[in-house]
Amino acid sequence: MKEDTSEFVPLSTATLHILLSLAGEDRHGYGIMQEVARQSEGQYKLGPGTLYDNLQKLIERQMVQPVGRRAGEEDPRRRYYRISLLGKAVLSAEVARLEDVVREAKMRLQPAKPRRT
Amino acid sequence: MILRSAYVWTLRLHPRRFRQSFADEMLLIFDQVAGNHAAARLAEAKLVGDGIVSLVRQWALRSEFRCEPTVAVAALPVADGVPAFYTFGSFKPRPTALIHGLILSIAVLCAALLATRYSWNHTVHLPFPIVAREANNSSPKRESAIIPSVVAAAPYAAQSAAGSAKEVGRESGPKCSIARRKPLRLQVEPKQEQAENPAGEKTTASEQPATAATGLRLGYAKPSDTRSNSLMRNRSGFSRPQAQQPKSQDAARAMIPAVVVDVKLDAAHRKALVDRTIANLRQYYFDRDVAQKTVQALLAHEKGGDDNAVAEGGAFADLLTRQMRDASHDMHLIMEYSRERLPDHPPKQTSESLARYRKAMEQENCMFKKAEILPHSIGYLKLNFFPDTSVCQSTATTAMASLNHADAIIFDLRDNTGGFENMVALIASYLFDHPEFMYSPRGTPTEQSWTRSPVPGNRLADKPVYVLTSASTWSGAEQFSYDLKVLKRATLVGETTRGGAHAGVFHRIDDHFGVGIPEVKPINPFGTTDWEGTGVEPDVKVEAANALEIAEKLAESKLQKK
Repeated sequence: MKEDTSEFVPLSTATLHILLSLAGEDRHGYGIMQEVARQSEGQYKLGPGTLYDNLQKLIERQMVQPVGRRAGEEDPRRRYYRISLLGKAVLSAEVARLEDVVREAKMRLQPAKPRRT
Repeated sequence: MILRSAYVWTLRLHPRRFRQSFADEMLLIFDQVAGNHAAARLAEAKLVGDGIVSLVRQWALRSEFRCEPTVAVAALPVADGVPAFYTFGSFKPRPTALIHGLILSIAVLCAALLATRYSWNHTVHLPFPIVAREANNSSPKRESAIIPSVVAAAPYAAQSAAGSAKEVGRESGPKCSIARRKPLRLQVEPKQEQAENPAGEKTTASEQPATAATGLRLGYAKPSDTRSNSLMRNRSGFSRPQAQQPKSQDAARAMIPAVVVDVKLDAAHRKALVDRTIANLRQYYFDRDVAQKTVQALLAHEKGGDDNAVAEGGAFADLLTRQMRDASHDMHLIMEYSRERLPDHPPKQTSESLARYRKAMEQENCMFKKAEILPHSIGYLKLNFFPDTSVCQSTATTAMASLNHADAIIFDLRDNTGGFENMVALIASYLFDHPEFMYSPRGTPTEQSWTRSPVPGNRLADKPVYVLTSASTWSGAEQFSYDLKVLKRATLVGETTRGGAHAGVFHRIDDHFGVGIPEVKPINPFGTTDWEGTGVEPDVKVEAANALEIAEKLAESKLQKK
């Protein structure tokens, strides 16, 4: 059944990047920070405070779920996070919304073609 | 370290739920970013700023997350679209009313929680004199920690006598704030150390207080430097009481070739020694008035002809020691005589010697002899030395992690002969939930004088602690015992420790003589005398051999009362 995602979009920049970084694979907090920096080519950097504030909200809204520690992980404090089905649906909805925005922006910013007479 | 402490405190001030969920991970990120270079410092500062912003945000804007949810979110659809719970009725209060009510409730709740938490972690500290418990007193100790307001101490230089592979690391003292001239460092020992003196003198501290301390220990000698080891093993005042010597050390001593000379003194030599001693006293002794008084006494003795009859080196050293102590009343002033030629300079640490030290430590598991869980979930750690954290930190953290789920912990220091202050602080870090000062009576405090509490993930901070001591427990192990005792964090079980607290700096005078001079006056923040010459009194006095059994019973009894 299709998720009702309308109440969650639009997403904040931080939330969007976090969900995007988790879309490919499970990551721990520091991994998310690094992936966000990589995605944005260093233009957007998340601090731990912002990251975990958003993760807290995402977990609460069941868009992300903590999946505990991985076997063989060097540091037992490290916890991994996984995007849920709801999270993926919300991310898809947001991407679709952004595509609309981009399309609209392109249309409006396109220089008007001179009419042939 | 300061920034890390600031970050830890920032995290601790976050709402409880957020802190429990994410503080460990945030600190982990901080540790990954941390480093010694300037860029890392900047990043650390940014993280502290980020933590402060997060703190404000969590308290000001995230009230909905502060308390554990008691009622599930109503009608939140799950994956199959069926609501998990339904609300009663259709009434919905105004959002502003909800927020105001929530903030008020949370404020009251948090205030109550904070008050409760505060009462758990703090006790009123009244300046009652410390009263040692009798052997049959098994009432539990308070475990609250009192933070000292005035602190002064110095890092330990390694100080134990070396001789076996086990003890090869004890002379490593790579980092010491007093080492500005890289002098040899000495430590005063009771006269009974003289039991092995080739001269055959046997004098106890109680019998002859004026010469109660003549043993030296060299803190700056490096672990694998055979010169230093040789020096330490063969000088008359350096050796430990025979009863406490490991057999391997005796064997090692026998293997070391020693060129010994019995120095016969003439008048010119005696005068030169007195003059050099006076110059050193004037230059280095921490109290100028006392130094001047001592100098005058030495000159008076010289002028009065008191020194003339003594021609033997050891006897002359003892004579000058007595003269200095009579005038200064400082038992740490000492003239030392060595039948072997003293090295011109303290040996420097090389990468090779460090590598040898590291290897020796690894072979001995950094002197962590045993870490196990005893019956009744009592953790037991037998540690025979406090090695340098630069080499043995991972071993220490592994050992402590293996005991993390214990309900009480016993530190067996009965065979521990001291070590590094940084390891003392590291082990103690697990016993507190906040940074605590570990007093060391050897000069000025350093960053390493503080515990690194709280340790993320650690569960031992509020667990009962027992420290086993014996008459052999010495130096750094005594610091660990003393500090935990005065901080009321541990119950000491066993015998009174050996009593090696103070240290001075050794100044070479000539090939066979040197003078030990305290250069820093320690200030004990706990307001009591330290353990120099007297040892640390256990809370429960029993024979060392029975200490473990007694401590186990005490721990078991305490756990049953909970």
